[in-house]
Amino acid sequence: MDFVAPKIALSGIAPEIALAATALLVLLADAFIGDRPRTLRPEHGSARPGSGILGNRWHLPLLSLIGFGAAVYLALDAWDRVDATGATTQFSGMIAVDGFSVFVKITLAVFGALTILLGHEYLVRRDLEEGEFFALVLFSVAGMMLMASSADLIVTFLALETFSIALYVLVGYQRSRLDGQEAAMKYFLLGAFSSTFFLLGIALVFGATGSTNLYGEGGITSFLATTPAADLSLLVLGAGLLIVGLGFKVAAVPFHMWTPDAYQGAPSPVTGFMAAGSKLAGFAALLRLLDVVLFPLRWDWRPLVIGIAVVTMIVGSILAVVQDDIKRMLAYSSIAHAGFVFTAVIATNDRGISGALFYLATYGLTIVGAFAIVAVLGGPEERRTRVNDFRGLFAAHPLLAGILTLLMLSLAGVPITSGFVAKLVVFGAAVEAGYTWVVVVGAIASAIAAFFYLRILVVMYMVDAEVAEEPKAVMGPLSIGVIGLSAAATLVLGLFWSPLIELAEKATFFAGP
Amino acid sequence: MVDTWQLVVFWALFAMMGVSALRVVTSSNVVHAALYLVVTLMGAAALYVLLLAEFVAWVQVLVYVGAIIVLMLFGLMLTRAPIGKGMFDNDQRLVAAVTAGALFGVTTWIIVDAFEGQKITLSKATGIRAESIGDVIFSSFVLPFEVISMLLLAALIGAVVIARRD
Repeated sequence: MDFVAPKIALSGIAPEIALAATALLVLLADAFIGDRPRTLRPEHGSARPGSGILGNRWHLPLLSLIGFGAAVYLALDAWDRVDATGATTQFSGMIAVDGFSVFVKITLAVFGALTILLGHEYLVRRDLEEGEFFALVLFSVAGMMLMASSADLIVTFLALETFSIALYVLVGYQRSRLDGQEAAMKYFLLGAFSSTFFLLGIALVFGATGSTNLYGEGGITSFLATTPAADLSLLVLGAGLLIVGLGFKVAAVPFHMWTPDAYQGAPSPVTGFMAAGSKLAGFAALLRLLDVVLFPLRWDWRPLVIGIAVVTMIVGSILAVVQDDIKRMLAYSSIAHAGFVFTAVIATNDRGISGALFYLATYGLTIVGAFAIVAVLGGPEERRTRVNDFRGLFAAHPLLAGILTLLMLSLAGVPITSGFVAKLVVFGAAVEAGYTWVVVVGAIASAIAAFFYLRILVVMYMVDAEVAEEPKAVMGPLSIGVIGLSAAATLVLGLFWSPLIELAEKATFFAGP
Repeated sequence: MVDTWQLVVFWALFAMMGVSALRVVTSSNVVHAALYLVVTLMGAAALYVLLLAEFVAWVQVLVYVGAIIVLMLFGLMLTRAPIGKGMFDNDQRLVAAVTAGALFGVTTWIIVDAFEGQKITLSKATGIRAESIGDVIFSSFVLPFEVISMLLLAALIGAVVIARRD
């Protein structure tokens, strides 16, 4: 057999290449430019008061942000191309270049950039090394992006592993914290476990269809188009295992066990990044797999996914009510939100796909801000994260309390916030598809969920004499900026939602066979 | 038609692997057990060569013999586990025997059932050569190949972050 050199077009994975290259540059710059934090101030346990928060180490976050900017630019460039010529696949059908992947990539780049900004301040205040942190964030965003545009299950698996491995390490990044190490260990073991499910799913799908490719010649799409539906049990079983593997990443019940521990033990900027990015990447793969490729099999997988959606919404909301720690509570709330997005997945219509994209984008922007507030109030080791530690926040920091109120109301889905619009869109899609009862369950879950968001608000505005220690926010300009941006996005998208929804609707076209 | 020398080599490997596999579980010295495991796994690699699957054979040598056994030995050395005769029997012999027997039974049944007694004649055409795998890796699977390098780099950085001394 003669070797045939493949045709290589890079426009489809240009954003990922930009991020990986930036990660390498960050590591190099970290080694050669500026001082390491420990040589900078060996005599201090924590950051020097009064020194500018950027210190003399501004080059690393700046470089990372330039990387994200380049990724957005390249993604927009790819958008222009597919807008003109239509969706295609590249790299012998391994990469799908379509509106869906571009939308997800831009959103992921925004989440990554916000994480860099928060992470910089968080790390400088705690005297932690930054270069590896930024490099790992860049690698994991690259993995997430690859996941969104992967058109082959092998690439999906590798992308999943890339961002997961980076996240396992980021969760335990602050090694002085024992709960962080415990969280990283749990997340790693359970994550490795779920990866084997995903891998076995790929093996079964390959066994059933003879291909791991989604669109190409002889791929799964053309297999489904040409084969009578009689003997597909192996494919359905494989698809079920793929749903298990991805369900773990988006924290769906019953694969949610890692979520509270990992969310609590991770540094708060990382928690926000996990909640926003890992969910978006997981759902991007799920939407492409279920709503597009396995669309002809929807009657087979839908009962399973409906079950997951219902259980996830109910269990997430109920368990959140009994939490005492705000990070654990937001973890369970993120589980419930995964359930809400699943109602858009089972709709299997364009409204569902664009609704899920809108939901994940707005949820991500809100949750990053919420965890940023937790980070600035938590103290150096994030010990002050219990709900009662927020007692009297309004008296101490009225503006911060106001913003947290807005974010919580958005997570609860109250009108004039983006969370309300998002819920409306995904529930609307499910009703359109005829799954009104799932929406009713979702509405009940939202009502339960409202209880614990309100609980935080009540505690926050309560003024009583028993405040043991007033909440104290330690914020620099970067945290303030991210929190403000998150609040502005939550409010503006709650009032003027149509541009983003229209963009998401425009993005719901996929590469075909 | 199977060549006589193929049969001779097969039964020789069978005897070698059988003896060393038994010694893996009966040896009372952990390091000896690990070394017997090397012999068993090398025998499996030789079987793959006999089946004209040279690439799988080399992967077997590199991954199992080269990486996993070395990792086990390093693990023993670094954790101060009792090397030498000893105290590492945890009284789970019966459970282990039943599990291994069940696994053997199920695998054998699946293989016999799947092939239903059909014979496959081996020739250069049916053997999978490393060359053709290389062709595929660097043509249609070039992207996964590159993504793996990014994955390994991320894992490497992660390992440094976790293992670094403060």
